[in-house]
Amino acid sequence: MALVGRSVPRADGPAKVSGTAHYVDDLTRPGVLLGATLRSPVARGRLRGIRRDPAFDWAGVTVVTAEDVPVNVVALIEEDQPVLAADEIRHAYEPLALVAAEDPVRLAGALRALTPEIEPLPPVLTVADALARKAQIHGSDNIFATYRISKGDAARAIARSPVRLNGTYRTPHQEQLYIEPQGMLAFWDACGAHLQGSLQCPFYVQKGVKRTFSLDDAHVDVTQAVTGGGFGGKEEYPTLLALHALLLAKKSGQPVKMIYDRQEDIEATTKRHPCEVTIESGCDREGNLSAVSINVLMDGGAYVTLTPVVLSRGALHAAGAYRWDHVAIEAVAVATNTPPNGAFRGFGAPQTIWAIERHMDRIARELSLDPLLLREKNLLRVGDTTPTGQLLKESVGIQRCVEEAKKASGWDTKRATLGRAAPVRPVAAMQRQTAPGGSASRKARGIGASVFLHGAGFTGSGERKLKGRVAIDMFRAPSEKKPRFRIRTASTDIGQGTETVFLQIAADVLRVPMDRVEFATPSTAVVPDSGPTVASRTVMIVGSIVESAARELFARIEYERQKRGGSFDDAALRLLADQDPVVSEKTYEPPAELAWDDATYRGDAYPVFAWGCDIAEVEVDLDTFETAVLGFWAAHDVGKAIHPLMCKGQIEGGTLQAIGWALNERLVVKDGKILNARMSTYIVPTSLDAPRFTTILVEDPYSKGPGGGAKGIGELPMDGGAPAIAAAIEHATGIIRDDLPLLPEDLFAARQTGT
Amino acid sequence: MKITFVLNGRSRTIDAPPLARLLDVLRGTLGLTGTKEGCGEGECGSCTVLLDGVPVNACLVAAGQCDGRTVLTVEGLENKDGLSDLQDAFVTEGGAQCGICTPGFLMAARALLAGNPQPGEGEIREGIAGNVCRCTGYQRIVESIRHAGKERASREPG
Amino acid sequence: MNPAEIALHPFERPASLAELCRTLSTRAVRKEKTVLLAGGTDWIVERRLAPLESPDDLPLVLDVSRLPEMRAIHVAKEHAAIGAAATFLEIKSHPVLSRRVPVLTAMAREVGAVQIQARGTLGGNLATASPAADGAAALMALDADVVLASVTGERRVPLTQFFTGYRATRRAENEAIVRVEFALPRTGAHQMWRKVGTRAAQAISKVAFAAVVELEHGRGVRAGFGMASVAPVTASLPTVRALALAPNLASVSEQELEAATRRDITPIDDLRSTAAYRAHVAVALVKCFFRSLRTAIGS
Ligand SMILES: Cc1cc2nc3c(=O)[nH]c(=O)nc-3n(C[C@H](O)[C@H](O)[C@H](O)COP(=O)(O)OP(=O)(O)OC[C@H]3O[C@@H](n4cnc5c(N)ncnc54)[C@H](O)[C@@H]3O)c2cc1C
Ligand code: FES
Ligand code: FES
Repeated sequence: MALVGRSVPRADGPAKVSGTAHYVDDLTRPGVLLGATLRSPVARGRLRGIRRDPAFDWAGVTVVTAEDVPVNVVALIEEDQPVLAADEIRHAYEPLALVAAEDPVRLAGALRALTPEIEPLPPVLTVADALARKAQIHGSDNIFATYRISKGDAARAIARSPVRLNGTYRTPHQEQLYIEPQGMLAFWDACGAHLQGSLQCPFYVQKGVKRTFSLDDAHVDVTQAVTGGGFGGKEEYPTLLALHALLLAKKSGQPVKMIYDRQEDIEATTKRHPCEVTIESGCDREGNLSAVSINVLMDGGAYVTLTPVVLSRGALHAAGAYRWDHVAIEAVAVATNTPPNGAFRGFGAPQTIWAIERHMDRIARELSLDPLLLREKNLLRVGDTTPTGQLLKESVGIQRCVEEAKKASGWDTKRATLGRAAPVRPVAAMQRQTAPGGSASRKARGIGASVFLHGAGFTGSGERKLKGRVAIDMFRAPSEKKPRFRIRTASTDIGQGTETVFLQIAADVLRVPMDRVEFATPSTAVVPDSGPTVASRTVMIVGSIVESAARELFARIEYERQKRGGSFDDAALRLLADQDPVVSEKTYEPPAELAWDDATYRGDAYPVFAWGCDIAEVEVDLDTFETAVLGFWAAHDVGKAIHPLMCKGQIEGGTLQAIGWALNERLVVKDGKILNARMSTYIVPTSLDAPRFTTILVEDPYSKGPGGGAKGIGELPMDGGAPAIAAAIEHATGIIRDDLPLLPEDLFAARQTGT
Repeated sequence: MKITFVLNGRSRTIDAPPLARLLDVLRGTLGLTGTKEGCGEGECGSCTVLLDGVPVNACLVAAGQCDGRTVLTVEGLENKDGLSDLQDAFVTEGGAQCGICTPGFLMAARALLAGNPQPGEGEIREGIAGNVCRCTGYQRIVESIRHAGKERASREPG
Repeated sequence: MNPAEIALHPFERPASLAELCRTLSTRAVRKEKTVLLAGGTDWIVERRLAPLESPDDLPLVLDVSRLPEMRAIHVAKEHAAIGAAATFLEIKSHPVLSRRVPVLTAMAREVGAVQIQARGTLGGNLATASPAADGAAALMALDADVVLASVTGERRVPLTQFFTGYRATRRAENEAIVRVEFALPRTGAHQMWRKVGTRAAQAISKVAFAAVVELEHGRGVRAGFGMASVAPVTASLPTVRALALAPNLASVSEQELEAATRRDITPIDDLRSTAAYRAHVAVALVKCFFRSLRTAIGS
């Protein structure tokens, strides 16, 4: 029986439920030292020096400062970020020096015995100040990146539209809050640098190490430890941490382990970019959309990191899942003296989709249309083109998503009977019941929806440039009679189930049971570069390379079988007698017809899109403005669910992050510093906050997706949750919020000001 | 200080500072790294172990307070046939994604099921409310626990 | 302090209350610092946030979590005594308390989540004297007394007088909280517990409200209130209480309730919430409780 499409037990499950899976903090080496980081207390300044307390006993303590860094840059998209600040400090918590010691008490003492001497400079803390060039902190204009997308003539079409509406929609920071904080174990030996850590992209880390220490591939080995969640937060940041650990290991001559505690992790590592989107649209009175003009403004923080790519993806998703004949999008990201923002599931799209979805609700309100009906009228279909002029040729399952979600949630009835988007009911209509210990609160219910899309894989020509590779080995294990297979890929399993899904795909092609295929631990010394584990590309792109490598291997065995007879295993063993292992390595072949022009931002932005419709039902306490999510329906077009249970798990987990962003999470930043860098003050949802999800997998296969049509869905579920919740709150209470979050205090304040 | 306690069914005596965290004693002194640290301040529940059968955060328990008591960690969940029903359910029902929170959830669930073999959804959610998972959205965890309860009921009639 | 630094504290486990009191008093005389450790859910967290002290100057930690004199929960006919080291878990699972004092059971059930309930104690909750303490709010509504013990014996302090300021109490250096005592509300008393926290569980209160009122012939004959996170100390809402005991309880207006509540609280903006929101919620919860009283009187 085929494995693809079945929810087989997770391959890495037994180790994870028995406590034997080894995360980085579970690893050690003889003579290991603990490392820690001295960080900047100010948002901007000049580092004049680092004073060491002469009264402290420095024996056995290693201190690393900028002078110890061979090439003091973190090699990411740009090389603007130093490994350790040498002169200008650009954000609070910026690393200034490193210390290592044998035990934690000495380590803490040493850290306290270092005092940075800083001449403070006036910081640029807001996007407005950055644009106004209050101080010059990046290039000549404080701008990290700008993108423009245009189709037709938006300005003219809007001016001629019967209904013109505009609005501004804001979203704040969001912390990934993976439950395992970042960590890295580093050591050096005759072969070079070795790293084991919590990370998503081993080759990103390798690239950074090669650059800083001027080493070649062969001398840098980066191995992923079992990783306790990432959500983008372990995409680019681990490179910096790896460099820190390696510097300490090099200077001390001993292995060094650095494990962040929760507060340091929240303060120092990257977050979702805050964003402001201004939309102006034109449509007719029946709600047929015609033109949209969108301005996206993101706060990149102090260094470039991945900001241009995040901004680009945000811009490419800004027009939503709708047909517009005329589109003008301008997206700008600026520098501020706040901790750098970076990758977080959705990568810019949740910010712009929040905006367009709230704007769609605004249009529906204005025209007195059912918000889902308005959306359905305007959904992209096969044959339509996107803002970049991409012709959608297949796998546009959004109409079905909307239908399924509507049906399952009872949308029509609930929309008609709940809420009414009326102002709060007068006191006379209140419920009056108090059980002992209970409360007689006034409550209102409502239902809201969102519709969205997410491009799967790298943007534009990314995959073509990257040329991701995967290898499958066939080998003979000592005590076994049958051949075994091993998948070697740089795609990491950070919880999403990469390992299991790849085993399913390969085992099906090779027609062997899953337990004859294994997944090599991603280590740059062993696996080819399949590209990073990001951008919803793992299953769809890398999975398809796995599939084609397996196909090639199968064909070789099959050819041998036809030539010289016997069973599949006989033929495989004959091949192995000649050469063990037999290796099939494949490079990704992007579909030939995909065309993309980076200069004009026109063409096929993504090979294909995944689609979704979310519906939320909420109950708002009209006394306390607490929102309870009573039900949540998510119908997502995933192309083909290779492992339905894990696929649902991705959708539910991503959706809850979106709900948390809306209802619980708020990062408090003041003077460039984070005031609530603890789990007791940065609040994420618990099991009692989370709704019961009804997750519907819609399968409109993508002809080039693996396993019969799979599309990338890692990020899609982050896109729709927040706007669906906001719409439901609006339906229940009449409170209209264009900005996240929607904490009780925000709803209360909105009610007070009547906005 | 000499601290004696029954750990996963075996009596152990260790020498540790009494105000060392139970978490560090387990992970460091005793080498049982299955219990995880996610916050170090009682918020995330990754470090949950059972102290005299009751779930506690090992990051907030002083080792000296465990003297003469029993402690159960994830390493003590397996039975002679291998994974327990509860562990197995987390594998087959999608209760573990990245897995860092999983040992803590397993311990909270174990205590819940011990007192209430077939809990309803609300009881399950309340029983695991001190454990934060950022991957799953909780639904598969709830299903895993429910499934484990049912499995047990189907095998132990009455 | 990091965990390894916390581990440096000296630690002892007194075998009896008498031994504990002796140690406390000797050390107090010598001006040596001592802390009691019950569940550790406040102290260990606070210690982590504290700067390092010289290793020679660390306080002695005395484990009280298993002192028999502090562990018991006694419920007599009209009276209850709860040991300072009884945990929220024990309180919430106590069958008689849940029947007679649902305000307390409901409170205990909403402290943190099960792991915190299993460790956290009323003694710790009161001694920390955080304005956000849920236990203090519920006990305030019950008009509880705090019983303190020292080498010279026991003394009682009404909880309404126990807190002297932000995180400050009448407990002397040489005293331990042994138990809290209160008169059981009579059957049918109106009790309400409502916690508005940062989320549905594992939450610290933005506002928490506890109320206990006994009615007789349409009049309040016993009334107690407690509110968390609206003032530097747990608020006992004296003006609101006076309204509950006033002869015209049935006709107290919403305006009067609002004015009384606002007079009794001084909320602030902090990381968890805003002053304006807190005041709004405080008023709403008080009104909500009084509506139920009026309904009871009316029927
Ligand atoms: C994750 C988390 C969630 C929480 N949620 C809540 C909540 O929802 N509501 C709430 O109110 N609190 C909450 N708290 C705070 C804490 O759990 C409670 O205040 C608890 O009651 C403290 O009791 P303890 O026994 O753990 O105190 P400990 O930490 O052991 O002690 C606290 C203080 O009290 C002193 N002390 C202890 N016992 C005595 C005694 N018998 N006599 C004199 N002094 C004594 C100690 O010296 C110390 O200074 C939470 C804490 C955490 C970590
Ligand atoms: S590490 Fe103990 S609760 Fe988070
Ligand atoms: S599975 Fe990753 S945090 Fe729960």
